[in-house]
Parts: sequence; C-alpha cells; structure tokens
Amino acid sequence: MSRIFITGMGVISAIGNSVAENHLALKAGVCGVKKGLDLFPSKYAALLPFGQVQISSAELLKKLNITESGVTRTSILALHAFNEAVHAAGISAEDISSSETAMVGANTVGGMCLTDELYNDANTKETGSEYTSSYDCASVNLFLQRHNNMLGIINSINTACSSSANAIMYGAMLMQNGYAKRAIVGGTDSLAKFTINGFNALHILSSDNCTPFDEGRKGLNLGEGAAFLVLEKEEDLNGKKVYAELTGFCNSNDAYHPSSISDDGFGPYLAMKGALKLANLTADKIDFINAHGTATENNDETESRAMIRLFVNPPAFASTKANIGHTLGAAGAIEAVYSILSLINQELYPNLHFKKSILATGLTPVLEYKKQTVNHVMSNSFGFGGNCSSLIFSKV
Amino acid sequence: MYIHKTYCISPQQDPLQADINLLNEPVNKKLLAIEPSYKKIPPGILRRMGKSVRMGVGTALPLMDKEKSVDGIIIGSANAGMDECINFLIQIVDYEEGQLTPGNFVQSTGNVIAGQLGMISKNKGYNITHVHMGLAFENALIDALMQLNANPTNTYLLGGVDEIPPYQYNIETLNDAYKKEDISNKVLYESDSSGCLPGEGAAMFVVHAEKDGAIANVKAIHTVHTNDVDLVKQQLQLFLQKNMEAEEAIDLLISGENGDKLTLPFYTACESLLNADTAVVRFKHLCGEYATASTIGLWYACQFLQNQEIPSHMLKKESSNKKYRNILMYNNFKGGQHSFMLVSGI
Repeated sequence: MSRIFITGMGVISAIGNSVAENHLALKAGVCGVKKGLDLFPSKYAALLPFGQVQISSAELLKKLNITESGVTRTSILALHAFNEAVHAAGISAEDISSSETAMVGANTVGGMCLTDELYNDANTKETGSEYTSSYDCASVNLFLQRHNNMLGIINSINTACSSSANAIMYGAMLMQNGYAKRAIVGGTDSLAKFTINGFNALHILSSDNCTPFDEGRKGLNLGEGAAFLVLEKEEDLNGKKVYAELTGFCNSNDAYHPSSISDDGFGPYLAMKGALKLANLTADKIDFINAHGTATENNDETESRAMIRLFVNPPAFASTKANIGHTLGAAGAIEAVYSILSLINQELYPNLHFKKSILATGLTPVLEYKKQTVNHVMSNSFGFGGNCSSLIFSKV
Repeated sequence: MYIHKTYCISPQQDPLQADINLLNEPVNKKLLAIEPSYKKIPPGILRRMGKSVRMGVGTALPLMDKEKSVDGIIIGSANAGMDECINFLIQIVDYEEGQLTPGNFVQSTGNVIAGQLGMISKNKGYNITHVHMGLAFENALIDALMQLNANPTNTYLLGGVDEIPPYQYNIETLNDAYKKEDISNKVLYESDSSGCLPGEGAAMFVVHAEKDGAIANVKAIHTVHTNDVDLVKQQLQLFLQKNMEAEEAIDLLISGENGDKLTLPFYTACESLLNADTAVVRFKHLCGEYATASTIGLWYACQFLQNQEIPSHMLKKESSNKKYRNILMYNNFKGGQHSFMLVSGI
C-alpha cells in the first residue's frame, strides 16, 4: 500500500478564513462562538451562541468570483477551503481537472440552509427559485466538479457528523487502490434553521458557550465552516512540502441508537482501535487526541469511557468544538487540519471553558497552549446512525 | 468482487415479467415501488420509517438473515431522508420555529438506512452512505471493491435505494426533470419528448472475494462527469481496452436509456461502439428513472447471467449469440453523471 501524505490544506471557520488565521486563533484560545447570528432571521439568533463564519455569502461569492446562479453558502465555504488547499499543494488547474485527481466531499446540510426557498420550491408555490438543483448534499460537490472541470472520481459522503472523516478515508483508499493518483478531500456545512431547530428539538443545544468534557456541560453549539486536504502518494512527492502523513483510519458502527452513543462507547472504541491497527501503532504512541467532544452529556462521557478502555491512561486530549462550534459535516476535515497544525508546530491548543472533570470518568483535557513533542495525533468523529470514525495523522 | 445473493424491490411485482401486458404502469405519471409486508422489520421501528428507509432495510434484512453476518454495510442513496428533512423544515416555517418533535430530524440524516441496518442487525463493522446523486451507488460499489481488496476474507452488504418523495417530486418538476405528458411505460422508448418517467426502488447484494457459489463477478467500474458525448464515447473505449482481453467480446449491453430525448445521444453513441453481435437491453420502462437506478440494472445483470433468459420487451437488439457471459452496463443521470460497469458470469 502506498503511503499517503497531506501536501496542502485549507480551512474556513468562525475563528478565521485561512489556515494561518485559524492557527493564530487556536494558539490564543479564541472562542468564535457568539450570540447574534445574522445569516438569516431566527428566533434563536439572540438566544443561542453560534460559530458563524465572519464573512457574508454575498461577499464570499464576490471574492470567489462566482457569477453563476443557485450557488449556496455551503458550496462557497467549500470552494474557499478547496482553493486554499490546492494552492498550498501547488496543484495546477490542469492537474485538478485530470482524470487522475479524485475529489471526495462531505456535508449534511447541502442547500437546506435556504429555508424559505426550499419551503416554496417543495410546495411548488412559485415558478421555482434559482436553487432547485442545489438542495441535496451532492450539489456541493457537483458544483466544485463543474467549477474545476474535474474528470476524476467525484463522491459525496453523508454519515452525519462523521462525514468528512469518511471522505478523507475514502480518498486515501481510492489512491491506494489505483483509482486516483491524488485526492482532494474534505467537508463543509453552513448554519441552517434546519439543524438549529433539529438539535434544539433534541434538547442538546446549550444556551451558553459549550464546555467540552466539563462535568457541568449543557450541550453543544452549532457552527459552520469547511476544510479540504490534498492527499498525494509518497512516490509522487518529488521533494515538495509535506504537512503530515495519514497513517491510520477506521470506520465502525456503534449499532445502538439513532442519535446517541452506547454507554460504554463501543463504536468509538472500535474506531480508535481499528485506526491504531492500520497505522501499526500501539496505543501509547498516540501523543494527542483531537476528541469529538461535542459537549453533550452523552458524547463526552461515552467518548471518555472509550478512551479509558483503549488507552487505560489516555494521552493529552482536547476538543475544539468550544472554539468554532460543531460544524457537523465539516467537523472531521476541520479537525484534521487542526490535528496537522499540532504536528507541524509541535504544540497543543487549549480546550476552552472547561471547569471540572466529569465525575464518572475523571479526565481533564489540555487546558493551556503548550509546546510538546507530537508524533502521532488521533482525530475522532462520531455521528447519528452510530457512525464512528477515527483518523491518525503522523509527523513527517 | 463476486455477488452471491441479491434481492430487490421495484415497481414491478415480478421484475422479470415476460408478458409486457402484465407490467405495472405509471400511476399519476410515477412508477411507484410495490412494497412487501416487511415481516422482518420490528413494527415499532417500521412505523417511523420513510419509504426509502423501509425499502432499503426491507431489501437488506432477508439477505442478512440467510447469510452469515456481514462485516460491513455500504449504501448508495441520493435522497434517503430528504423528504423527512423537508417535512421538518416545513414544520419549522409553519410553526415559526416553535417546539418541534425531533422524530423527523433524526430520521432525516442521509445515512439513516445504513444506520438503521447497523442498529437492527447489531452490525458494528464498516458502515457508510454515499450520496453522490446519479453516482451514489457507483461510489458504494467502488467502496465495496476497495474494502474487499483490503479485507479479502470479509463479506459486505452493498446496495442502492431511492424513492420518489413528494416534495422532491415537486422540486424536480420545477427542474423540468419529468415528462409533462402522460405516457405508458410500454411505449417509453418511442417518446420523442424531453424528461424522464420517475421511478424508485431498492436492490441489495451480498458480495465477497470468494468465487465459489457466486452469481456474478463485478470486474470493473468507471465513472465520469461530463456533458460531452464524444468524451463519454472515448472513455468507454478506454474502459473496454483496459478491462477486456483481446479475444473477449461484450455479449450484452444493459443500457440506461430512459425515453428522454436529451440523454439519448449518449446511449446511441455507446451502442455504436459495440459490435453487431452484442445484444442490447433496456430496463427503465420497468423501474423508471431515479438517481440509483443502476442498482436495479446490476440486479438485472445478475438475473440474466444466472438464468440466461431475457424478457423480449427488454431487448432493444437481439444477438445471434444467445449465451450471455460478459455484460456491460452504461448509465447516465441527467446527462452529466456517467458510469460503465463490467459484469461477467462465473
């Protein structure tokens, strides 16, 4: 099997519009989750904090020079991160179009951020909005494909909140199986009334800033953003700059409940264990875990139990959900970028708003920015439908 | 990759019905799937499922029951959960973001079929949902090929499912995706108008790397996005060169032709590349058009290989060679997403 390296990455989130901006904000412990959502009118705008990307859709469309109609915020967040990633990897437009370049994107919201347009189109109230082909999840990647005239394998994956971890995995497998020479992989999601009201109906949205792994946690905050990585094979590197190696990945199912993880976190345990096995690493070699850490009562305790079961004494860990909110289909990709930043810079970023360890598990996340040797980072993503995925990135 | 077991739900009571006069016809311009009674789905769970979830789970469970437990579940579905999404979104608007029940929301995630299957069968293995519209099933199939390559002793459940959800139907009507006139599926291919006849269905396959006892061998697959007929033709040529031995020939082409004059040139171009002795079969008059219709196409390939019999209303072109061993399927969705699959007998 070919070794797979990350040669470019791009990210946009509530704490910055580029990898460099996100890096500075992580170091400084910036919290981008705030009340005052202004993307669309919602009764929750003033009541709940959100991790909104600080650039309007109109501004982003202009910046990206998009003139075609029917392009959603989910798609342009994706394109913004995609452009940064391919630029960083030095991939030419010709290479992007090549039949040897695959693109795998994940998202869960698609064009459903357009509440009123979708409402009217679904009820055939008018002649149809400009977005009638943009509501489904595939529309985002069909847009990226069209925009870049891509001839390689294109895919869209939706495994809820673990979607973009699976997109990274699928891209790596396409390369290892000879379906692609390189892969551009990632995920995107924009804030939407749909997800806000959905998670609110489940009573798992916190009215305050979320507090991952804290005994007093009251639920998650929603965020938005996108991230893409460029994956290339060892034999094609030709001395180019490499950010990290993707050494392990595993997808397992918790097979317990549609919207919560089993008490003992068996699915998360299997995903982490499988990723270690593929990376051919023992548990003690993991220096840091970028936890899923949504700050819901269910996730943080079950994830802690799974970490204890596998690692006995878990390594340093933290969640960045308090910095940017839960970005759903983008989370796995954004956190892959954050994991790689830890590897490149040999440093860990603080888990914000933590006060007291969960009584039942007693674990304390990283609380301050610190320099430390980081050779292997594990990144966890778990989703509805019991979908659990873990990735391992290693220092080069 | 070898297919060992298959099962499907389609708009035809008997998808291999030989008498064209006994085919189910569209109702209100839709070819709706005929659902079985779903005895294997617990009633409490069944009640909460949308149609695509019922069809997906209902097609998969009989296979998982007979087989030793599978090691993973790989599903392609363009729109599973989409109508539950829209339903929830409509409640958000109608009740002005009032207190809503989370049921529709939890059922609305695109991975709901694979998730439910994992839960019902207590399957903790690989579990994934590909949603890439007209290539959702093709990506699921590529995934299965890759999983088997990495884990040659494993068995996977592979499938594709889509329904015609009412809200999606409205949106696709605004997109002029469907034929405006009433048309019988018996004369679908005589149509010279644009648009398709919407359909739905599900098919599942138990696949592993072991040849013994298999029905079919999925040898190769290729996908491409383009609106250029010549490029599709060129890619098919390359695909055949790469995957066929010089002395081998395609005995049968399964064409995704769907009565839409806008996509017909692609099918005509691909047919033109095959030799005079290749039979051509069409299946969209039986199942209608939908994003994962190629799943049923693969189900038909398995039946033809196994039975060596093809209902005459499916044959566009007969061949003097009545032995079907190498089957090529070409399908496209909305003229932009194209796939070639090569399936052979054992």
